[in-house]
Amino acid sequence: MKLKLHIWRQKNAATSGKMTSYEMDNVSPDMSFLEMLDVLNEKIIERGEEPVAFEHDCREGICGSCGMMINGMAHGPEKLTTTCQLHMRKFNDGDEITIEPWRAEAFPVIKDLVVDRSSFDRIIASGGYVNVNTGGVPDANAIPIGKKVADYAFNAAACIGCGACVAACPNASAMLFTSAKISHLGSLPQGQVERMDRVINMVSTMDNEGFGGCTNHLECEAACPKGISAEYIAQMNRDMMKATFTVR
Amino acid sequence: MASIRTYLQSTIMSKVIMALSGLAVIGFLLAHLAGNLLVFGGPEAINKYGQGLRDLGGLLWVLRGGIVVAFIAHIFTSIHLKQRNASARKVSYANTQPVNSTFASRTMLISGLSILIYLLFHLSHFTWGMVSTKSFNGSYILQDGRIVHDVYAMVVADFQNPIISIVYIVAVTLVMFHTTHAFSSAFQTLGINHPSYNGLIKKAGLGIAILFWIGYVSIPVAILGQFVK
Repeated sequence: MKLKLHIWRQKNAATSGKMTSYEMDNVSPDMSFLEMLDVLNEKIIERGEEPVAFEHDCREGICGSCGMMINGMAHGPEKLTTTCQLHMRKFNDGDEITIEPWRAEAFPVIKDLVVDRSSFDRIIASGGYVNVNTGGVPDANAIPIGKKVADYAFNAAACIGCGACVAACPNASAMLFTSAKISHLGSLPQGQVERMDRVINMVSTMDNEGFGGCTNHLECEAACPKGISAEYIAQMNRDMMKATFTVR
Repeated sequence: MASIRTYLQSTIMSKVIMALSGLAVIGFLLAHLAGNLLVFGGPEAINKYGQGLRDLGGLLWVLRGGIVVAFIAHIFTSIHLKQRNASARKVSYANTQPVNSTFASRTMLISGLSILIYLLFHLSHFTWGMVSTKSFNGSYILQDGRIVHDVYAMVVADFQNPIISIVYIVAVTLVMFHTTHAFSSAFQTLGINHPSYNGLIKKAGLGIAILFWIGYVSIPVAILGQFVK
């Protein structure tokens, strides 16, 4: 396959970047998108230039590192897929592909396609945990949890924190991420003690980090590689309303 | 812990204010439509209704106050949220492909502000009588002998002007677009999202939007088409 890539190049956080075009020949349809970028980088290095910086870790679709905007869609055109699991067979010979970093003030670009997502870590640190007694490890099934509740919590827990929801949202809102974390813990018995404080603290950190608000476009739901539903945003809203009038 | 005021200023509680005030406006639009459709019942029906509203006295002012508060809350909160959202992404993408969002959802601020501009004209026209004083100052004698404001003659005379009618139809079309996204969006914001009734909420929103369009547009169309004279 022959491709023309338009990639955002930015030296560091302090400088401004621009789109740069690269021609690619002999791209195998069996390559993953990241492997295609690896091949591009080898060519760029051979030319003595700086390779395109992008994040990656597991390359198995579970770590959430490899976020990038491909042709205007977070993680590219395939549904429920991270960039590393996207394969070049999804594209056609002669295609032009635009590759950009996640765009959000809360995700500043560090270099090329790499953004700083530590704002997500700060949201988690402000309430994405449960307090447990120290001592021996509790029995796994000591607290019975119904199958439906377990499934509901697990579907929220599937969030890998990749930031595609923020990237795809026209408002750069982090509500799908934050609500998945809040709902995952808040729907289980172990998460009840901190439930109301959690929603207040995590929403407040989310707002302070400079993410936008939800206007219910549901682009996040479409972009999420783990298929997390906006139903969790509704639960976060319910908890927030309750917490506003109950937390002391 | 921070004060309740801090929580109320959060994005979520601002959105709750948007949703509640928006639903109040939808409620008002339904009641307003029911009243307006009395134009098809002839001058006696709508003029009696108009006088009936005035006879509510203090209660009418409470209702008017409520709807004004809802409008103001809706407008100011939307501008506040929009500013926040705009500053959350200062560098835009070279390429974006919308998947789930709709034309209506992406143009809520534009449709909303256009409706606001029309609303001010609509109020100055039919409520404050600043557009056509002649038709506004007509009076009508009810069957019980009371002399009341002639709403019927005013509406018929003014909608015979095609420009007034077309501008009105455009505004109602914007209301329809705004409502298609607004109704289900309000429920989601208020935390009402469940696989069992999401479909119903979506259909109800679409149904109300279409009802607004057919109901409100039928009035100028009937007058222009001489069905109501």
